[in-house]
Amino acid sequence: MISFIMGALAYVSPLLMQAQGPLLKRFEPTLINFLMLSFLLFVVGVAGVLSRRNIIIIFMSIELILNAVNLNLIAFSRYLELNKDALAAKGLAVNPLSGPVFTVFIIVVAAAEAAVGLGIVIAMFRNRETVAIDEIDLLKW
Amino acid sequence: MDQPPAPNPQPRRRLMQLHGLEAALFYVLAIMTLFMAVFVVTARVAVHSALFLISTLVNVALLFILLRAEFVAGVQILVYVGGVMVLFLFVIMLVQTRAEEESRVRLYTGQTWPAVIIALLLAVSFYFAMNPAQAAFRPPEGPSVTVAESSERASAGAGSNISKDTQAVGEQLYRQAALPFEIASLLLLVAMVGAVLLARGTKQEKYYE
Repeated sequence: MISFIMGALAYVSPLLMQAQGPLLKRFEPTLINFLMLSFLLFVVGVAGVLSRRNIIIIFMSIELILNAVNLNLIAFSRYLELNKDALAAKGLAVNPLSGPVFTVFIIVVAAAEAAVGLGIVIAMFRNRETVAIDEIDLLKW
Repeated sequence: MDQPPAPNPQPRRRLMQLHGLEAALFYVLAIMTLFMAVFVVTARVAVHSALFLISTLVNVALLFILLRAEFVAGVQILVYVGGVMVLFLFVIMLVQTRAEEESRVRLYTGQTWPAVIIALLLAVSFYFAMNPAQAAFRPPEGPSVTVAESSERASAGAGSNISKDTQAVGEQLYRQAALPFEIASLLLLVAMVGAVLLARGTKQEKYYE
């Protein structure tokens, strides 16, 4: 793995030296990079929710998913903020501040969800002595 | 939030592009965030998982600052790292059976492969969703927006370097989103009462009956 990265670096570095400006500019992050990061966070969270056994870690994966959505909203808000005038010239009125406002509400809902969910976990642990979700199958038939 | 009208009649489309140190910082934070997120999902001990999640949340807050959303970054640190994660750690320490630290205990349910397949399907669908739009986000060939221009929102005030983001979000929150704001506070109250009711012990249940 490391040798692969070093090889890639050795291949790329002369190119970087050659064409400093335009090539480096291609790697400057735009909206799409933020969307990719947020999407990868989302996928990691989904994989955690679907595959882990410990219910507390599943809750943490849900927090990861919510954070990915927050990052998406904030990135689009910034994008609209910068392009507000251009969009207004086309007749599209946008409100870039809806993103942060919505994010605040998502954080509120996440906090409420964590409080109630962890209360359920404690109640369940008191009754069943377990936090593994495949042992909690009372409602399964 | 009344910005002065654009000087030219046809305003240029501007990319949300980070330059120089900000670009490097984005990549560092993105890689840190992704690695910490993977560690959250794969850690064996739940406390380690919670600590990795704290690191992820701080990294995401720093990304919010890169996007000039300082208020949301502060809320993220205060509510998530200061509140929710402390709650998580308390519950882990109350509930921890220490069984998972032994290597013979299974960490994953039997549906690891379905999880991987669903994650890959999501990745493919994202690719097909984003591919048509990707050209629109690419940097233009000509001279692009300068750093001073792109960090305009951070220094929107007359000559001051203090961000107006918090003020703008607060105004928006109390003007356009006043009713959802009140509903959110009610939701938090209900959640608090519900959590107390759910987590009380049998002794307290007898006492109240």
